[in-house]
Amino acid sequence: MNVKRDILWRVYVAFFAVALFGVMVVVYAVRIQFVEGEHWRKMAEELTTDYQTIEAVRGNIYAADGSLLATSVPIYELRMDFKAGGLSDEVFNVEVDSLAYHFAQMFKDKSQADYLREFKEARKKGSRYHLLKRKLSFSQVKEMRTWPILRRGQHKGGLIILEKDRRQKPFQLLAFRTIGYSQEGVAPVGLEGAYNTELAGVSGKRLMQKVAGGVWIPVNADNEIEPENGKDVYTTIDVNLQDVAENALYETLVKHDALNGCAILMEVETGHIKAIANLARKSEGVYGEEYNFAVGESEEPGSTIKLASLIALLEEGISLEDSVDVELGQTKFFDRTMKDSEPGHYQMLSLQQAFEKSSNVGISKLVYKQFKEQPQKFIDYFSQMGLDKPLNLQITGEGKPRIKNPKDNDWYGTTLPWMSIGYETQFTPLKILTLYNAIANQGRMVKPILVTEVRQTGKLVHKYETEDIAKSVCSKETLKKVRQALEGVVQNGTARNLKNDNYRIAGKTGTTQMARGGKYTKSFYKSSFAGYFPADNPKYACIVSINGASKGIYYGSAVAGPVFLEIANKVYASSLHMHKDISETAHTPEIATPRNFSGKLKDIRDVMNRLNIAHKVGEANEEIEWTTTARMERNMRLEQRKIIQNLVPNVSGMSLQDALFLLENRGLKVVVSGKGNVYRQSMNPGTAVYKGATIVIELR
Amino acid sequence: MYNWLLSKVKGDTVIWTIVVLLSVGGLLAVYSSTGSLAFKQQGGNTEFYLLKQLVFILLGFGFMWLCHLLDYRYYSRLSQLFLYLSYPLLLYTLLFGVEINDARRWIAIPGTGLTFQTSDLAKLALIMYVARFLSKRQENIKDFKGAFLPILISVSVICVLIAPANLSTALVIFSTCLLLMFIGRIPIKYILAVVAAGVVTFALAASLVFNMPDEKLENIARLRTWKARIENFMADNPETGGGNFQNVQAKIAIAGGGLTGKGPGNSTQRNFLPSPYADFIFAIILEEYGLMGGVALIFLYLLLLFRSIRIVIKSPKAFGALLAVGLSFSLVIQAFINMGVAVNIFPVTGLALPLVSMGGTSTIFTSLAFGIILSVSRTIEQEGGEVNESEVAHA
Repeated sequence: MNVKRDILWRVYVAFFAVALFGVMVVVYAVRIQFVEGEHWRKMAEELTTDYQTIEAVRGNIYAADGSLLATSVPIYELRMDFKAGGLSDEVFNVEVDSLAYHFAQMFKDKSQADYLREFKEARKKGSRYHLLKRKLSFSQVKEMRTWPILRRGQHKGGLIILEKDRRQKPFQLLAFRTIGYSQEGVAPVGLEGAYNTELAGVSGKRLMQKVAGGVWIPVNADNEIEPENGKDVYTTIDVNLQDVAENALYETLVKHDALNGCAILMEVETGHIKAIANLARKSEGVYGEEYNFAVGESEEPGSTIKLASLIALLEEGISLEDSVDVELGQTKFFDRTMKDSEPGHYQMLSLQQAFEKSSNVGISKLVYKQFKEQPQKFIDYFSQMGLDKPLNLQITGEGKPRIKNPKDNDWYGTTLPWMSIGYETQFTPLKILTLYNAIANQGRMVKPILVTEVRQTGKLVHKYETEDIAKSVCSKETLKKVRQALEGVVQNGTARNLKNDNYRIAGKTGTTQMARGGKYTKSFYKSSFAGYFPADNPKYACIVSINGASKGIYYGSAVAGPVFLEIANKVYASSLHMHKDISETAHTPEIATPRNFSGKLKDIRDVMNRLNIAHKVGEANEEIEWTTTARMERNMRLEQRKIIQNLVPNVSGMSLQDALFLLENRGLKVVVSGKGNVYRQSMNPGTAVYKGATIVIELR
Repeated sequence: MYNWLLSKVKGDTVIWTIVVLLSVGGLLAVYSSTGSLAFKQQGGNTEFYLLKQLVFILLGFGFMWLCHLLDYRYYSRLSQLFLYLSYPLLLYTLLFGVEINDARRWIAIPGTGLTFQTSDLAKLALIMYVARFLSKRQENIKDFKGAFLPILISVSVICVLIAPANLSTALVIFSTCLLLMFIGRIPIKYILAVVAAGVVTFALAASLVFNMPDEKLENIARLRTWKARIENFMADNPETGGGNFQNVQAKIAIAGGGLTGKGPGNSTQRNFLPSPYADFIFAIILEEYGLMGGVALIFLYLLLLFRSIRIVIKSPKAFGALLAVGLSFSLVIQAFINMGVAVNIFPVTGLALPLVSMGGTSTIFTSLAFGIILSVSRTIEQEGGEVNESEVAHA
């Protein structure tokens, strides 16, 4: 037999042996699939896992002073796996009585015997996902984890803790609509909606397993991917001013049984919106935040827009003293009659007077005379003032401005005069306020800001600076005259009811007949007031706009003016920098500190300086790091608190933050109880530190 | 493009096609089955392991291409070199290797942070060496002392060095070498004697191990693991319906696949099966591509064997024939044993499915083996057709 043939038959034998084995693999596979298939597939149904999403904790929304406007509070649900692998009959039977006792004691909703029955039954049934309690707070869960059986954890005690988040607005109604909300399937509203991406964070994943009865339980104790918590949004809202604005608006709406209204307060220099209130009638005498009128509703502004007309006229070289024949408050443009709100008083008025008294005839006649040949020029002035473009705010749903153009089909001969007094154009209240703010801000028009910062666990992620819309809305000369005219409105004009002794307000009233169902009616008015204060050195601009006042009073000065005044008074009262210097009659107050306290020298000095408490450092030693205060007759003495490495420090009188820093740095485990400053500590100061030892500190 | 590729690669295009199909199939299966691993170790970056495996496959193709360009006759000398290199490396691995999953099979390559499994190198070297030895001794192949004993010693030393850390690999290599000896015309009676001796030794050892309490097994290599695996395999656990956890999960996967499978990426069992991307990848393939996918895979491996038989027919020299056939059989046997584990014919072994399972060393050395097979095929094609018998005899 030759070699090659000898090799070949052997290769064939080997090939068939291997091929046979391949067939065997197939046969086994077929057997598993088709003979035993039913059995395995049934088992598969019982054993299914899935990566389930764990929502990240949503970020907070803060007010300007750091108080919480919206936050997520974790609530917990406790369940129990009564068939947990490590939970023996022995342990269960011994401890279940005591567990039932704890439940009865804490919740007081069922007796111990009832709870005992519930647990025993669940154990007997082998319930793997038995609901113990819902809507538990963190502290409740913390306590429950120390209870019998439950303290053994997931595997040995069957404890399953599920965390959920509930969104809470600590100030409830305050700026409700501006804070907004974000819900699946609903268009985002307010800041919650606009900053949803930042606030939401990145969700994590957890491998969950389906166990008998179709319930899902986590496979591992830890999450497979930890969620990344949402970022915090810091707003410009001032909680106190918001509260004043909302209350003042609320009372006025109730008083005049108005349909709805809004009030916005803005910081002149920065464009920060300090307060933004929107209220609408829900039922007789009850109002709530339902829609962001201030930002979303673009409507005919009425007389407040006469500011823009005045600027246009002044820029054209017309003087405040130029007079106009107001024809006793009634004139005709083509076939349409233009009327003043209170006709019959005046014949000849200067431009300033026409503005102060809000004469429709006066203003419209001057505008018509000046611009009828070239109406585009009038429109261009509006554009120059930035009125034609939306504000591109940080929240969505902004109402778009609408200014007619001479080329438009609906531009009539009457459009120009009516436009000059606030009809046939549409702006949101915030847009109008931005113009008034620009006048207060030396002509510089800034974009309103609601959000100043976005932070991730305290670290700055994004900062929003003040942006200019227009460097200057008019010339310097015009600005001076306009401010004079706006002050005149309060001093001599329609808003004399806002005059007060402490500071001066400048602004313009607006009383607008509103179109309802396509027709202007006598019974439905928008009453508004826009302005700024103090007039000589403006700090804040504000607009109040109320629709549908229905008790016979509807003038802007009478309805919106008082709300404006109340907000302005509150701002004035709480802004010391606005006050004129009062003579130095007030003497420094007696030193009064509630008690002695301790901490870092630098911090304590800062506090004392800020509160004007006279103090001096004990040994005049600048090297002191930690200090404790001592009350003396005339001042506070700051004495050195000696902190020595490796010895237990004296932390009494310190804040929790300082105490934790010192104690934990020395390797001590700290158990804290109570609230306030450290009152007592369990280890004597000056004794040697044992790393890992536990020290108890009591706060009071 | 296709023509350009064809001009660059030489040798059996069918084998090239098999290699490409296996690699692509493997990538798909690896991508699908590494989901839970990616979640655990890469923060949910599920592409990580796909890309890693792709890099190894591409690297493997590079080596394969280089290997197939080299005249296969050089491998005769190289096999000797590699074999001598294997002894110290295996010894080093056994004593100082990196421990992964309680087994010391890996050594770290200095400066790279990579680890590699020395038994893969030893296995390739040994198969090549056996082919060399058998072809050199064809004239006195029936001689016990001159042919059988020396080769048996070489094979045994390698297997003994591998066995403590990786008994199953040692057994598979040993069996493959016996098969190769059979093909290389070593008398059947000698081979049967070795098999008989092996079975008796194994039975004795097993009875010893199984009668010893676990505590005493503690320090002796991996005896406990082996015992546990075999016990698991034998066990008839009534609660799980037979077999241990892995096997039950594998069976659920296979049963779920049915005839046509759940479709690529739709495996659910990958979350339960331990290392679904390696030992049990065949179960995932059966789950996603069904019985048809499994049969196709088996067909591909058999086709590889069949094409290497063609090389035997065409090869003018015994070395080339034995080299090609030896490497092919070793790959296919390993593949079928891996599949056998998945369908529960064998206990769990830890053998990879060549080119399909995820794994760097395994992919690279499998590629080298394919490269050498293709080198033989290329040389034969270029030197032309049938050669008369006498040349074979004298080779």
